[in-house]
Amino acid sequence: MSAGGAGGGAKGGYPQQTIMAIGAVGGLAGIYLGHFMPPAFSFFGGLGAICAIVWGADAVRRVASYGLGTGVPSIGMIALGMGIVAALFGLSVGGIAGPIVSFIAAAVIGAIIGVLANKVIGMGIPIMEQAMVEIAGAGTLAIIGLSVVIAGEFTYGPVIENVVANGYIALIFIIGGMGILHPFNANLGPDEKQDRTLMLAVEKAAIAVVIAGFASSLHEGLMAAGLNIFIGLIIWAFAFMKYYGLVKRDAHAVVGTGLLPSAEELQ
Amino acid sequence: MEPLIGMGVLALIGVAATIAGASEDLESDVGSQSNPNSQVQLAPQMMFPHRIYNKAVSGEPPSNALMCSVGAAVATVLISEFTLSPLFALVIGSLVAACVHGTFAVTSVLGRSASQKRFKQPIYLDMIRSHTPVIMGYSFITTFCILIVSYMMTVVLGHPFPLTMLAFIWGITVGAIGSSTGDVHYGAEREFQQFEFGSGLNASNSGNIVRYGESGIRNGYDNSWFCAKFGGPVTGIAFGMTVFLGSWVTTIFDPAKGLTQGWFSVIAGVAIVLILIIWNWKIEVEARKAFGPYKEDKTEEASA
Repeated sequence: MSAGGAGGGAKGGYPQQTIMAIGAVGGLAGIYLGHFMPPAFSFFGGLGAICAIVWGADAVRRVASYGLGTGVPSIGMIALGMGIVAALFGLSVGGIAGPIVSFIAAAVIGAIIGVLANKVIGMGIPIMEQAMVEIAGAGTLAIIGLSVVIAGEFTYGPVIENVVANGYIALIFIIGGMGILHPFNANLGPDEKQDRTLMLAVEKAAIAVVIAGFASSLHEGLMAAGLNIFIGLIIWAFAFMKYYGLVKRDAHAVVGTGLLPSAEELQ
Repeated sequence: MEPLIGMGVLALIGVAATIAGASEDLESDVGSQSNPNSQVQLAPQMMFPHRIYNKAVSGEPPSNALMCSVGAAVATVLISEFTLSPLFALVIGSLVAACVHGTFAVTSVLGRSASQKRFKQPIYLDMIRSHTPVIMGYSFITTFCILIVSYMMTVVLGHPFPLTMLAFIWGITVGAIGSSTGDVHYGAEREFQQFEFGSGLNASNSGNIVRYGESGIRNGYDNSWFCAKFGGPVTGIAFGMTVFLGSWVTTIFDPAKGLTQGWFSVIAGVAIVLILIIWNWKIEVEARKAFGPYKEDKTEEASA
């Protein structure tokens, strides 16, 4: 949640390493806390997913700034595509180390896809390999985090039963993917600012926590689900108001109504 | 299942899909999502600020998949945990999905406009307040109809996929068809009405979209009004046909009744695809014969 900084300077940005640390460490910590604590605390998985989604959105922002344009949505989809493969592989073989194995598997898959994109397809984006590793890792942690919210743990059997078999994996795929791709896509333009983009990532991730929290009532009961939804809504409301504040800071003008600016005003 | 009941369910699915297709296209047109969005985004950079909703929520397939899978997830929880009647559950699920979609729409129009500060594109709050409920209304209709289709397929036709997964897949499909069929009638025609019909998009006209309407400044309502005449319905027919014909072959020739029936359904499917390909090809040849290539004006020839 450090992305909710006080706005900082217009040009100021959080360094890449900080965001990466928040995403990886915060994501894994949230997932493990959600797993080991009683089901009522499965919202920690959601907090981990929020950290991971913020990281993913920042990685998308860095790689898409090379002019991906309409490729921004595609890169969000590939993030979660790599994430699902890595997450299910890691959880099935890793046991208690499942999320870490998934994370490493995601890094390997991301590196291969990054090399393919640059060397074979010839996209020629300098940070492609590194960004793909980051995006795959973030996507994996987002999927496991939201799975922990729904299933209360990340053990392979319960995740398959409570998340994959009843189709909620499709929900996690798309809501996590949109959380990663939407922030930069929605703020695309020459005057895009990092803090605004990342605040939007928090807002979208909070929606994912609310919806996953509602789905958690099937397995964890109404109390845990209510807590998940409540925490998600609080974060959402905070992030949305903050985002609107940043929009007002950055926009040319926010007006109630009005005619189009005249030619003189545009000069 | 009785073949007659199967056909009745299939007809209902086809109707729901047709409505979903039409409302999906109009929903994207109110907010200028998908293909037409690039010109709406470009306009302020070319000194054409506008009052058109810039709803940049990825492409239509992911955004519709999101709505539909959120709606389906909420509905399945309500059905199994709260033992709510499926009809109410589907309605509430669609309502939640419409609200989620509303937040995506609002954040994208705010963000995109704020990122165009140097081109002096203002954010008009009255435009956002008036258009977002319309977008949410259309997305409610789309989600509800897709959920009806998916629910019927799971419960009545016995499709092996869970509801959320089916809704996800149909959401992607309706978005893809809305994007490929419907957008043509907004993007190329409506945005560039002031240029001669059929002249294509000259690079020098990029971003010069129509910003003034019949009365006052043009907005998303005007565009959905225009698209409701043809683009929306034709998207509905395209999606309705996809859903109806896709399920029709296995309802008539049920593979569960034996291998021969299964092969008949495959043959019927291939025949439908072939007929549609030949039909489309005939239409294109006829159109080329009737209208031919774009002819230059006599005045242009004289000046050249």
